[in-house]
Amino acid sequence: MDLESLGKEVQLAIQKAASLDEVESLRIKYLGKKGELTKVLHSIGKLPANERPKAGKLANKLKNELGELIKEKKEEIKTHKSLPWEDLSLPGRRPNVGGLHPLSILSHEIQEIFIKMGFSVVTGPEIETEYYNFTALNTPKDHPARDMHDTFYLKDGRLLRTHTSPVQIRTLEKHSPPLRIISPGRCYRVDTFDPIHSPTFTQIEGLWIDKNISMADLFGTLDLLAKSIFGKDVKTEFFPSYFPFTEPSAEMWIQCPFCKGKGCSVCKRRGRIETVGAGMVHPNILESLGYGEFNGFAFGMGIDRIAMTKYDIDDIRLFFQNELQFLRQFDDSKL
Amino acid sequence: MIVNYNWLSEWVDINYSAEELAEVLAKIGIEVEEVEKTHKDTILKIDITPNRGDLLSVIGLAREIAAKTGKKLKKRIEYKLPKVKKEQKINVTVESNEDCPRYTASPLNNIKISNSPNFITERLEKCGIRPLNNVVDITNYVLLETGQPLHAFDFDEIGGGIIVRRAKNGENIVTLEETDKKLSKEDLIIADNSGPIAIAGIMGGFESGITEDTEKIILESAFFKPSLIRESSRRLKISTESSYRFERTADMYMVGYAACYAIKLLEKYANGKIMGKIVDTNPNPKISKKIPFSYSKVNELLGITIEKKKSISILENLGFTVSNKTGDKSEVLIPSHRNDLTIEEDLIEEIGRFAGYDNIPLRFRYSNHKPIWVENREIVEIKKIMVCLGFWEAINIPFIEPYWSSPEKTEAVYLENPMWSEKGILRNSLIPGLLENVKRNLNRGEEIVRIFEVGRVFTKGKEEEENVGGVIGGYTLKNWYENDREVDFYDIKGVVEAFLEEIKVLDYSFQNCKNPLYLEERALSVVSGGKACGTFGLINQEVCKSNVFGFEFCIKKLINSKKEKRFRKTSVFPPLKRDISIIIEKTAPFEKIQTLLDHSTKQKARIKLIDVYHAERIGKDKKSMTIRLEFYNPKKTLTDDEIEGDIKLITKKLESIGAVLRE
Repeated sequence: MDLESLGKEVQLAIQKAASLDEVESLRIKYLGKKGELTKVLHSIGKLPANERPKAGKLANKLKNELGELIKEKKEEIKTHKSLPWEDLSLPGRRPNVGGLHPLSILSHEIQEIFIKMGFSVVTGPEIETEYYNFTALNTPKDHPARDMHDTFYLKDGRLLRTHTSPVQIRTLEKHSPPLRIISPGRCYRVDTFDPIHSPTFTQIEGLWIDKNISMADLFGTLDLLAKSIFGKDVKTEFFPSYFPFTEPSAEMWIQCPFCKGKGCSVCKRRGRIETVGAGMVHPNILESLGYGEFNGFAFGMGIDRIAMTKYDIDDIRLFFQNELQFLRQFDDSKL
Repeated sequence: MIVNYNWLSEWVDINYSAEELAEVLAKIGIEVEEVEKTHKDTILKIDITPNRGDLLSVIGLAREIAAKTGKKLKKRIEYKLPKVKKEQKINVTVESNEDCPRYTASPLNNIKISNSPNFITERLEKCGIRPLNNVVDITNYVLLETGQPLHAFDFDEIGGGIIVRRAKNGENIVTLEETDKKLSKEDLIIADNSGPIAIAGIMGGFESGITEDTEKIILESAFFKPSLIRESSRRLKISTESSYRFERTADMYMVGYAACYAIKLLEKYANGKIMGKIVDTNPNPKISKKIPFSYSKVNELLGITIEKKKSISILENLGFTVSNKTGDKSEVLIPSHRNDLTIEEDLIEEIGRFAGYDNIPLRFRYSNHKPIWVENREIVEIKKIMVCLGFWEAINIPFIEPYWSSPEKTEAVYLENPMWSEKGILRNSLIPGLLENVKRNLNRGEEIVRIFEVGRVFTKGKEEEENVGGVIGGYTLKNWYENDREVDFYDIKGVVEAFLEEIKVLDYSFQNCKNPLYLEERALSVVSGGKACGTFGLINQEVCKSNVFGFEFCIKKLINSKKEKRFRKTSVFPPLKRDISIIIEKTAPFEKIQTLLDHSTKQKARIKLIDVYHAERIGKDKKSMTIRLEFYNPKKTLTDDEIEGDIKLITKKLESIGAVLRE
């Protein structure tokens, strides 16, 4: 073998070596007393005299170079400790972390939006009286508007609140305007339990009482809310409506995010989805609380319906069956 | 409500397709739920809000369309009751004008009962009303067109005159549907001299109903007090097209118009002849009211600039009369069909509605109000902690079976009208709902279920409380680095301890717990500040053959037990560790050892239990425990000599409770 190819062979072998032992055995194999390069060096003496100096020079150069290379390699192996092979594709040891219910995620998100706008968050009882749930909200007993709220009654005559508006009355009894509050919470209405109805739902209601508040303020606030929930490109539309506790009353609809207004099964081919009921607080309510000189607006939304739209959920019962398969899909929880 | 497109066109010119009309109506707050093309016609299913009883008719909707498009109705709504010379007389007595402010009765004879003409039966069917015979169909047809409910009695079945009065307690009536209804003095009825012949505004009686043999009729068109009709309809559980409209307030003027219209149709299609004087108890009712109004308030409330001219034209298109068109203050005269309007704000809504909500600008008012209270911060915090402890949040419907209430069931809060008869009480604990969730999930093939809920619980005579509860069921997950095992008591205990630490309830102790939710031998209650604030343990019910462990806390009590931790100086010197193994009675609780050793040493020490085992060779009634002591001193590294005294002390203490040291 000529020196040149021997040199290349040794260089390659050193490069490949992964442990000190391997490098050492290479040193012995080529540079040791009986090593191959050593043999070549010894054989130089047998060459014709005129070739000897050149060949000797070359062989010695190679010997020194390889010796240097081995030294370097050993140094390299010593500093970079190499580890045995591991299957890094094994699944990690994950700590157990759960997740929030989608209705909580959305409800917290909406609360945060309003807190940033300067609203306080207030809560109240789920068992209510006729007075706070209806009478104080301009809905006397014989009013057909009662049909809008089919009510669960207790044996003692009290009822399960049908909306969180009673919290607004309770707050206004304790604190005088100007004020801005939202009241999130569980509400109940007699209904079937099927893909689109449920006897219980989560509501967030808001109230802003001050002076010289107008419908434009109401619409602006609700539009901002819609954009915060559904993204800044969402299109909102306002329609007249009726609630006994507001006058004038309105509904905010958003363009159906699934068909972009063309009409699909989610929006029942209407191209839009009802999201918020609202209006200017009925003067009767403020007057009976002694705040006749103030005005303001109120609004309310069912979180369940909004969550169905936002997450494309077609059966409201999924929220109450609490299957982990369902809940796990929302674990990008904004805590 | 269902309305036919062609029928509407008879009253107002509509330059829109049915779909376009639906959009136009939506803009003025009338929601069309469905447009359905049928043979030769299109029907619209419309959702009418409860304040607009006047829209429950063809004429009512036509009025709104006319107002929106600035057109006039094609027919005038005017009437003159026919004058009759014949002396056939019916006596009508109305006991209370408040209950019944207007009652008309028109007697007709010569009636020929037959089928109605096609245009009537087709329209009725499309609106969901089953045709019966020409007389009944005509009353229904007029109801759909005018919104005024009518009723026809068989004249020959009425003894004496007609009396509009309250029923006497104990009176009863067999209705047209042949059901016997018990009446009370809360019900308004139509009676003859032998008793009730109709429940006013709700349903006629069977006896006086129209049959194939009817020859003479009395046609009733009246106005009944809305709240009376509503209450009776609810109490008697009868809801009809008629009661639905009466409870939403009929139109005093329309009472006369509808009667005249029906008479015309009866003459034409049932061969009827007026046979006597038409009775009208209130021929000239007060049919309009004034509402004071200011133009500047329109812009203030709507947040938009609407010219006075525009406001006036909107009000006039609605058929209102505006008294003053120059100054700011004015008065608006409202016709009888708009009972829903009473205050200035109502009129402003009308102007907003017809000017278009689309034209109201979007404004957001920044204000320097800061949130004053955020009442549910702690609840959000608690939910976050539970999530970090590996739990998934559930939301359950809080109706439970009486089985779960306290044994005496005296504390249960019962529903009057439960959703499901077997779940008639409000939950007094979150556990029952969570157990259903565990069951459902284990059946779905989940191996382990960790689930929690935050929600209200209800106990009779007490204020409702917000609780947090959680359950664990199933097997820990088997994976490549760990074997699976059934969840046990210490899983839930660990969760409870970590949870309490996270919410900074630091001063607490565990005590025995007697609560029917748990098995007593595997349950503890958490006591803080002398008060129990929660419980945990093995649930007294297996789910899918698996043990389930649960906990439940009252959030208010937890918050009251909260303490801020005080900062303790950390030590840079490593602790000196010593392990002591002892053999002790099997039933000796670790807690006893812990309290014995806590704060007993000269040098500060942490005490950890690092091993427990039972084996034949150490004795059947014995166990071995290894306790690790970690001595630390903030000022220096400790030497063996410095802790020798403490070790001796500890050994002595352990021996004093019967422990034997192992080598």
